[in-house]
Amino acid sequence: MIQILSRYAVLFILTLLVLTAMSFSLVYLFPGDVLENLTGIVPQNDIQREALMRQFRLDQPYIVQFFYYLTSLLQGDWGYSLASGLPLRDEIGIAMPATIELSTYAMLMALFIGIPLGYYAGLKNYSTTDHTINALSITTYSFPVFWLALILILFFSLNLDVAPLSGRISLLFDIEPVTGFVLIDIMLADGIDHGLAYRDAISHLALPTLAIGAITTASMVRITRRSVIDVIHRPYIVAARSRGVSEWQIFFRHVLRNALLPILPLMAIQITTLITNAMIVETLFSWPGIGSWLIQAIYQRDFPALRVGMLAVSTLVISLTIMVDLFNRIIDPSREKYERATV
Amino acid sequence: MPQFSLYEEEFHPSPWQRTWVAFRSSHIAIGGLILLGFFVVFSVFAPIVSPYNPAEQNIDSLLIPPSWETSGSITHLFGTDPLGRDVFSRIIYGCRTTLGSGFLMVVLAMLIGVSIGTFAGMLRGVRSSIVNHLLDALMAIPTLLIAIIIVAILGTGLVNSMWAITLALIPQFVHRTRTFVRAEMKKEYIMSSKLDGANRWQLFVHSILPNMTEMLVVQGTVALSIAVIDVSALGFLNLGAQSPLAELGAILGNGLDVAYLAPWNVALPGITIFLLVLSINIVGDGLRSALRKRVSH
Repeated sequence: MIQILSRYAVLFILTLLVLTAMSFSLVYLFPGDVLENLTGIVPQNDIQREALMRQFRLDQPYIVQFFYYLTSLLQGDWGYSLASGLPLRDEIGIAMPATIELSTYAMLMALFIGIPLGYYAGLKNYSTTDHTINALSITTYSFPVFWLALILILFFSLNLDVAPLSGRISLLFDIEPVTGFVLIDIMLADGIDHGLAYRDAISHLALPTLAIGAITTASMVRITRRSVIDVIHRPYIVAARSRGVSEWQIFFRHVLRNALLPILPLMAIQITTLITNAMIVETLFSWPGIGSWLIQAIYQRDFPALRVGMLAVSTLVISLTIMVDLFNRIIDPSREKYERATV
Repeated sequence: MPQFSLYEEEFHPSPWQRTWVAFRSSHIAIGGLILLGFFVVFSVFAPIVSPYNPAEQNIDSLLIPPSWETSGSITHLFGTDPLGRDVFSRIIYGCRTTLGSGFLMVVLAMLIGVSIGTFAGMLRGVRSSIVNHLLDALMAIPTLLIAIIIVAILGTGLVNSMWAITLALIPQFVHRTRTFVRAEMKKEYIMSSKLDGANRWQLFVHSILPNMTEMLVVQGTVALSIAVIDVSALGFLNLGAQSPLAELGAILGNGLDVAYLAPWNVALPGITIFLLVLSINIVGDGLRSALRKRVSH
């Protein structure tokens, strides 16, 4: 157990080091001035430039520069945005939770709709119900996420006028971002009508969550269905049936948990797709998350923002992936390290 | 001299033939294959089948609705865009760009991914552990992020976005190949080849690769559908193919400006991307279940 934990800890730190090195090398790879790329501060004159160069160790070898970069990242000094002049840490602190919130709801939707549907389809394998569910999931899975979002906007926002077009919450509600998660912030805020605020926030959330969640749900259905079909053709199920165990007991005692095992590692892969989709959908719904923030940054050539944003998003995704992997390893020690299920 | 041999008269289909028979038995899979074939034919023969030049602008015919609407005309089957370009021709050329670049990316990613994966699968000990874990972790970086970084360094353009997507596709092939090679290396036929004195290269080319092709084809279809979606997503976000070049996502993104006035500029490219991805997914799925059927019988 300790061995596994330490192995994953080493892996985690090593990956983060590689990522930090990549983000540091971007300072030199991006077009423009190295100093501006690193700090986001535009020096006014040569004297200030000299001073800044010395402060950020840019006159010293790359290794020293890298370690200085690493320590300042750890201390929370992430540099300033070229476009807005604000500290990047604050900007990401607001944008990141918005994306996490959106992806969490989409993932919950996938878990609560996708997995039961997948079980149902898998148990009824090769029947009409199964074929219908499978066909539906392949169709949904094939939708390009931006087009799906556009259709939803066109239908629900413009034609039916039941959902707002953009943003997280109406500007009438003055909500202090404490945690960054809008639903929790409403709970913490004072002096507003909580019921109305929740209704407004949820109507803003519905469409983007639906767009991202539908695609994640579809792949979840496919993964679960395959896993269930694999499990119910195993010899131990036949053995249980021959002992006269009822179908319900077979399902709850043998199928349910065994089918869940191969799904977990695939969820780790889903996280990447989920975050990508969330980032694309954000730009369409003007959701103030990290995706639209990064796209804005690239349109404005805001290189310090891109450098830190890349590090922040990849750190998020990799921590989640490694955590799911670790969890999977702990609950299922029998599995071979590199084995993964198929769709 | 008349010969009678029970065994020689029997027809033994090759593995691929058996896969094809299993594939053919599913009507949906065949439908997907026909649809995909349709797209491929249109992409390959785009200059012959498209009625207009996709970049040709015509100020006399701006925003003509598609031919099935009352105010549309048959001269422009899918109507025209705000610059008077024929949408049908643009979509045909868009398929060519999107599907063609997707195919190129998949082949490139497959070549690189299989080489790295085989290498990682044959390694042992601490080295393999480090290589494998690092690759696994880096696999998690989203495509869009890689694309944004590459665009920031090299600038926008179809080729730059293609590099980004290829980079993002490689880890899947590495992962699959590595798992496969690892599993195969423990089997007895590999051991017997080893005893015959085969070195690693011979083991790979003569023993593992022939067994791997099916897995690679199936994985290739998965990668192709991801590649097509990603190329069009980047084109849509204005990070990939730039305006005069016809690319399905870029056409959709440009059509967004006139979505109210001319909804067909958004709907038709979107449906095309959807059908393209759907046909690829159906073929991939059909192939996978055909292979599974063949193995289980």
